Amino acid sequence: MVHMVEGIASLPVVAGCTVLAAAGVGYGLTRLAPEDMPRTAVVGAAFFVASLLHVPIGPSSAHLLANGLMGLLLGWACLPAMAVALLLQAVFFGFGGVTTLGLNLVMIGAPAVIAYYLFRGAARRGTGAWAAGLGAGALGVGLAATLAACVLALSGEAFLPAAKLVLAAHLPVIVAEALVTAAAIGLLARVKPDALGRAPAPAATPAEGAA
Amino acid sequence: MIRPLLLALALVVAVSAPALAHKIKVFATAEGAVVSGLVYFPGGGKAVGAPVQVLGPDGVEIGRVTTDDAGAFTFEATRRIDHTFVADTGDGHRGTFVVKADQLPVSLPGGEDAAGAPSTAAPAAAPAAAAPVLDPAALEDAVARAVAREVNPLRLQIEAYEERIRLHDILGGLGWIAGITGLAFWLLGRKKQG
Repeated sequence: MVHMVEGIASLPVVAGCTVLAAAGVGYGLTRLAPEDMPRTAVVGAAFFVASLLHVPIGPSSAHLLANGLMGLLLGWACLPAMAVALLLQAVFFGFGGVTTLGLNLVMIGAPAVIAYYLFRGAARRGTGAWAAGLGAGALGVGLAATLAACVLALSGEAFLPAAKLVLAAHLPVIVAEALVTAAAIGLLARVKPDALGRAPAPAATPAEGAA
Repeated sequence: MIRPLLLALALVVAVSAPALAHKIKVFATAEGAVVSGLVYFPGGGKAVGAPVQVLGPDGVEIGRVTTDDAGAFTFEATRRIDHTFVADTGDGHRGTFVVKADQLPVSLPGGEDAAGAPSTAAPAAAPAAAAPVLDPAALEDAVARAVAREVNPLRLQIEAYEERIRLHDILGGLGWIAGITGLAFWLLGRKKQG
């Protein structure tokens, strides 16, 4: 679904999303500080690989998206990294298509940025890290699936059946994604809090001052 | 930290319902005039009840079939033309597959000379007049059918092999990400120097 292939979405939808995606990537680049570059690349690489992690479910399989995690960690800077990763997925794996890159970036990137604004506060407080991860992971996939249904509706499929189909198919992914994101954010909050953009923790400040 | 993660994954696998992967594939082969095909998700899973549109070379719909419980469908070709099979599950996935005209028996009327009934009737009448055993068209059809029976499983295997994502693809992608990051640093470094 969120790796939509060529020839499904109508031309105005694709064109509009491409413009939107280009604007987002441009803005993301301005928010990408040089010292954040390695982190952005590493998280981008994780996103690139995450969609290969198939969870075999019943007769089919689903894959993780990692967009909530990416948004939470990178904020607006996730968009350029996602654009690169999505292009590579399209070229190497045939997920989605090159002309639908903008469309897919909007569907995957917009929830990531929204997750950033909604959950970064909680993620920075050490105690809320797990909750923030759960929220960001679920929102990332859930919203992406909803957007995919909207795109299908705009392109002529009946909205409700399409939305039901897409959301039902992604229910297990939402659960898996929420748990994996929560585990990742929880881990980061413990071992590397500054990855979440947190100001030096209250416990760490006196220790640093003493040292 | 690893343990809760594994636990979570196990839990998810245990409780969740079928979901769709990120693409669907169509595969079809002709045996005689009957085209049988399969709609599936790479990495396992058959698309049950998926509508499959059959298009001619000019993009005009010839027919419409639906996959059965095993994700399979059959379609009887009436003309010797390229058939394009399009499966669309309605959730943003679409797969296409082309069965070339030369996979279909020569006894079928071709795309160009399929003007109407007379051209269809002519080849049908000729075999009846000739000796049935030595009729070259029937013989060719029989041989083609036998070869197709042997070759079709191989075709499916090659298709599945093509679909597998290989380690070097993944490593290549990661290399690209590292390279782009390096390039960005290099450009930044130059800007600082300049």
